[in-house]
Amino acid sequence: MTGLTDLNRLERDAFRKFYEDGLFDVFMGLMLATMALGAVLSDWLGGEAAGMAGMLGLAFILVVGLLSLRRRLLLSRLGTFQPGPERRRKISATRLALIGSVVVGFVVAAAAAAAYGPGIPVSSFEILMPLVWFLNAVVVMGAMAYFLDVPRFLLLGLVFGLAMPLLVWPDVMWGIRLSPLVAFGAPAAVIVGVGLIKLRRFLREYPPLAREGGQADGRR
Amino acid sequence: MASPAVDRLVHEPARLAIMTNLFVVDSANATYLQQQTGLTWGNLGSHLTRLEEAGYATVSKGFRGRQPETTISLTAKGRAALVEYRQRLLAALSGIGD
Repeated sequence: MTGLTDLNRLERDAFRKFYEDGLFDVFMGLMLATMALGAVLSDWLGGEAAGMAGMLGLAFILVVGLLSLRRRLLLSRLGTFQPGPERRRKISATRLALIGSVVVGFVVAAAAAAAYGPGIPVSSFEILMPLVWFLNAVVVMGAMAYFLDVPRFLLLGLVFGLAMPLLVWPDVMWGIRLSPLVAFGAPAAVIVGVGLIKLRRFLREYPPLAREGGQADGRR
Repeated sequence: MASPAVDRLVHEPARLAIMTNLFVVDSANATYLQQQTGLTWGNLGSHLTRLEEAGYATVSKGFRGRQPETTISLTAKGRAALVEYRQRLLAALSGIGD
């Protein structure tokens, strides 16, 4: 039972529990795996556009499926709450960081597309783009770790950020060409593995509580 | 023994746990409070009734999908009571450790 200790810590610990299920980690790992599959899908489906459509379709299924699963898991085990003003401010800051990440991603992708256009020689983008990918992942996940009080997300960002450098840099520097399935798949496997371990612990530590309508004694 | 000046409604450990947990959020459902405090449904219900009767908390019943859901929040009076409880407790214990 909780006493009147440090209210900030009480709120932080309660909020942090909602990310102990590991499903966010699984989601991020599967997103990386989806990107790896995107390259394979392009070959299977016979074109970049079809591959991209297949990748977006998979990502959509992932988002909907994992959100629905997460909702079911958390509702029966941890319940729900409306955060206070300070937490709402932190959640807004996290959203801004995520939006910023998407904007940076689009700008870099557009710049890279322009640099790789016909007739333009291979440029320093091969070094810079993976670096921007890495820094983007670390900064955004670092912001999430800080604002949501879940330090693990910074490590997640570091591993997530390794994917693009693993794909591009060995080829540029040493002529070692890794398949996207390896370059994206290896970090994805690590992240999904951690997520599944967290999920297993979460299910053991937080069993479902009796539903409100199910109790015999009634509340009032 | 507690100081007579301390609000005994707040001072009871289970209600203190409920109130501190509600103090840091806008509102929460009963499952959240049960998980956070470790109270059984029956205990939680009886303490919520006491808090509601004192005007310290509002309890509203509704549905999430097809499932019944009870949402609880501290009132301004309840928040003030907890702040005052803390001040009085600190004042009552101020001599300890000097």
